[in-house]
Amino acid sequence: MIEKLRHSGTLLGFAAIIIFFALRLPDTFLTARNLINISQQLSMLTVVAATMTIVMVMNDFDLSVGSMASLAGIVAAVLFSMGYPVWVGILAALAVGLLGGFFNGFLVSVVGILPFVATLGTLTIFSGMAFLASGGKTIYGRDIPAGFSGFARAGIPLDSIGFSGLKLPYLSITAICVVALVWFVLEHTTFGRRLYAIGGNMEAAHLAGIRVKKLRLLAFGLTGIGAAAAGLMYASRVASANPTQGSGLMLDAIAAVFLGMTMSQQGEPRVLFTLIGVLMLGVLDNGLTQIKVDSYVREILVGVIVILAVAIATISKRKS
Amino acid sequence: MNKFQFYFAAAIAFCATSIQAETVTVITPYLAQPGTQMYVEGFEKEAKAKGWDVNVVDTAGDVAAAISRIEDATTQKVDAIVINVDPAQVAAGLQTAHDANIPVVGMDAGSDPLLAANVTSNGYAMAAETAVYVANRIEGKGKVVMFVFDAFPPVQVRGVIADAVFGNFPDIEVLDRITPDVSDGGIADSRAKMEAILAANPEPGSIAAVWAAWDQPALGALQAIEDAGRGGEGIVIVGMDANPQARAAIASGGNFEASMAQDFQAIGSTTADVVGRLIAGKKIRAKVIYVPTKLITSANATE
Amino acid sequence: MKTLKICNISKSYRGVPALCNLELTLSGGRVHALMGENGAGKSTLIKLLAGVIPADSIKLLKDGEPVSLTSAQDAHAAGFRFIHQELNIVPQISVAENILLGRRYPCWFGPAINWRSLERKAQEALAFLGADHIPVKKIAGSLPSGDRMLVKIAAAFVADKEEATADLFVFDEPTAALSSDESRKLFKVIERLKNRGAAILYVSHRLDEVLSICDDITVLRDGHLVSTGTVRQTSRNALIHAMTGRDVKDAYPPRTSPIGVAPVVTAKNVSNEHLHGLDFTLHKGEVLGVVGLAGSGQGELLRLLLGDGKPKSGTLAFQMSPAPGSPNNAWRKGIAYIPRERRGEALMLSLSIRSNIVLPHLARFGWLANKHAETRIAEDLCEKVRLKYDSIEQTTSQLSGGNQQKVIFARALFGNPSLLLLDEPTRGVDIGAKFDIYQLVRAQSAKGCAVVLASSDLSEILGMCDRILVLQNGRQTALLSRDNMTSADLLQYFYTQEAA
Repeated sequence: MIEKLRHSGTLLGFAAIIIFFALRLPDTFLTARNLINISQQLSMLTVVAATMTIVMVMNDFDLSVGSMASLAGIVAAVLFSMGYPVWVGILAALAVGLLGGFFNGFLVSVVGILPFVATLGTLTIFSGMAFLASGGKTIYGRDIPAGFSGFARAGIPLDSIGFSGLKLPYLSITAICVVALVWFVLEHTTFGRRLYAIGGNMEAAHLAGIRVKKLRLLAFGLTGIGAAAAGLMYASRVASANPTQGSGLMLDAIAAVFLGMTMSQQGEPRVLFTLIGVLMLGVLDNGLTQIKVDSYVREILVGVIVILAVAIATISKRKS
Repeated sequence: MNKFQFYFAAAIAFCATSIQAETVTVITPYLAQPGTQMYVEGFEKEAKAKGWDVNVVDTAGDVAAAISRIEDATTQKVDAIVINVDPAQVAAGLQTAHDANIPVVGMDAGSDPLLAANVTSNGYAMAAETAVYVANRIEGKGKVVMFVFDAFPPVQVRGVIADAVFGNFPDIEVLDRITPDVSDGGIADSRAKMEAILAANPEPGSIAAVWAAWDQPALGALQAIEDAGRGGEGIVIVGMDANPQARAAIASGGNFEASMAQDFQAIGSTTADVVGRLIAGKKIRAKVIYVPTKLITSANATE
Repeated sequence: MKTLKICNISKSYRGVPALCNLELTLSGGRVHALMGENGAGKSTLIKLLAGVIPADSIKLLKDGEPVSLTSAQDAHAAGFRFIHQELNIVPQISVAENILLGRRYPCWFGPAINWRSLERKAQEALAFLGADHIPVKKIAGSLPSGDRMLVKIAAAFVADKEEATADLFVFDEPTAALSSDESRKLFKVIERLKNRGAAILYVSHRLDEVLSICDDITVLRDGHLVSTGTVRQTSRNALIHAMTGRDVKDAYPPRTSPIGVAPVVTAKNVSNEHLHGLDFTLHKGEVLGVVGLAGSGQGELLRLLLGDGKPKSGTLAFQMSPAPGSPNNAWRKGIAYIPRERRGEALMLSLSIRSNIVLPHLARFGWLANKHAETRIAEDLCEKVRLKYDSIEQTTSQLSGGNQQKVIFARALFGNPSLLLLDEPTRGVDIGAKFDIYQLVRAQSAKGCAVVLASSDLSEILGMCDRILVLQNGRQTALLSRDNMTSADLLQYFYTQEAA
């Protein structure tokens, strides 16, 4: 019973937050429009956090996702401004994400640098490359094709199921697909199971015949692609690309994974719990803006809640 | 979780205000900038006089979050939204507000069809004034260092005009066109960059002037020049925006000679006027509304 | 201290009693052995004495005076010192600092440390233990494990000069990580502590050790005291009986099937950076023992056979083809490995029994995880190794040491390996589980599986192996046939070169 309570403490907190906002904002909070808004607002963070979960399963992490997101947006935008079609820009950006991720993986698993140091280094490398490629400018306006920026504004109309005038945004759908994919890979493939084993005990995994180096390399590659995809989504949403625009994603993504880890059996990252962590952060942002809490107070509250959730989980784990 | 709710309730009670008044949400990713703070102050002062309920949201540099907050404000059905961010980048949010018939006014934001109006200073004119000041002071010849920031459109405009002015003087050479790292406010990195340039150009008189697109790099360059012991070479420094630190430097009569004062407070209060007219249902004809600016030199820096 | 009477000590976890009304008397100048299988209550007793967990009821009388024990500080003040099997020294700092860690460092003035005085104090403590061969300025991480243990003891000991005298030393499986040579050094130190009048509580699974160095023995089973008395009054068999509740006539099951003729491993003059001149052939069903002083290359030899590292010269073949080049390749070819460090190298403690068992074999299930098939196979294997568990999904961190080792065996036995590499497979495992493990090894060997067994327990080597490979500093110095050898005979080979 106590065990159950420990794992669901964060979940109860989440429920409490929702109930609180629902009572406080009866007309606007639990409306289909607002929930769809939240899902769209969170789509980029969801993609980064879900793919971040892949490396965090192995007890690694990737600090470079934010600048990789910026770089991917810039790569696509620069190609658009040179007249390449949309699909070329997208593929090139995803390829850059994959290569950058592999580079992280190479540094961490083959060279053997601590993930903190390696990805701190690539954070500034990717960021510098984004500045270099863009000349420090924001690429916007006519350079961004309507087909690209339109993606973030369009969706599947929901009129047929009774929500007239509403649409399920493509950004939200993309995020849901990414979460489903990561969930499938981590929980239902031997690849994912091996990643959890590496997280459980890397040396033991190596001696049990798991190709630790190769798997870590691959996992970082996937995180890189995820960051690039989020960067493209971001660029589409703001219809522009700026060499710093993704930098806010990294800390929130790590915070979301940590929040999620407080809900799992052994404190291991699980992508569905990560999603709840993302939702928690997003609902707080949305609700607190609506009840006009000062944005700085909001930041303090978010930090307090992350620390509180992790602290409660840690303390109750120690007691049990 | 009871404790949770208690703290929440406390936080909200603190911020809650009357419900009947008109509500206006101000959204910017750049509230940490002194200029933005002054717009907001001017706006809030005027709004208070009008009895509005104002909510200021800072997304700390995150543009996508600014879109999210515009959407949230729309959900909340505020009477008007004021933005201080490039409208092209938040078009997704503007569309949402537009569809819900909520007017959005730019406060030194940039022009966009989805904005009811944009209130700003004339950046072209300001840049021309400081650039010409420099050209005249150095009598049309010498090497000039430029500090620019092309990532932010209103500042980018200033760079373009200064380029044109200096380009028109055959004996003026632009030594370097530097984009400082602004994540720490801009002074420290500008200073470091200027130190490097001074080191690369050691002969006295080899640098005639520093033209900065805003005050922070000018202040950084001033520190670098003074600390290198080259304050006596007569290097002319100009900035823009005339923030208090810059005014103090200009008033002291050193190398930092001039800056342009935008009337930030007036931009804020004019924005509030425009919002007031929109809420009252009036039409705004000119989509761009300019607020006058002034050249600040040692003669009037302390005013 | 003359006597420490422990009366009426009880502790239960969530209603399950771990210790019931235990009574125990320890005397100064005597070594008291505490024995019992895993889960008998030894660790609980130690934790209660250390004050790290609260007792349900406890009464301690030190020379007739009651001692209150509610925190680790109390235990320290009462003069209790604990030396655990985990060598938790701080590897990055010097031996001297490790010895005085947690004490006030001697200072010149203000915060400036007087290094010379610090080193002298450490040196004195080591000298008292007869361990002055350890240089105090050396970085502790570079010491062999035996010396690390001595540093720990010196640290427990040094405190009493300034504060309470240490009169009770509790050793929890101290020799688990030590070679026989290092163990002998430790026993000398225990002798010195004893002669100084300290009481010693000695916890170990190793019968020979207990019988040779202890004066009194107490045996626990399921939280109850089963027997207590002097060593002279008891015997090996009586002890085993007391611990397990059953008679174990022969600890080592005899070979029942002949050794095969087909070679499984052929090493011809194989060397790498750790090992030199390996030259042997291992046949089907044969059990090869690997012995030597601690750190002579036993672990490296097993890892080489696992493909973790490559031979620099010579030829190494597995079943007539080149030896595998990576652990991944080795497991696929049917080589199973049981590492020395159960927690550090073998188990994922946060994962389930099922996951731990199937881990090296996931490829056989295809790229999609097949939980049903995994569960079926894992449960079969658990039965085969006689694992005691509630659910195949419970995490391995909840199992006792012996059962954890059985999980690792189940992993190794998956798919009937053709070569089994065992590194100290019974370390820290209780008698009953040990016997199960020996039987499993015999059964595999009877099926034709070749076994390489590295162990510092010489009776285990002599009881299980057909031939014995002796390593000295990574060099193969002897390949012996087991016949009629005794531990003493075998031990000679550890030192031959030094003698010569």
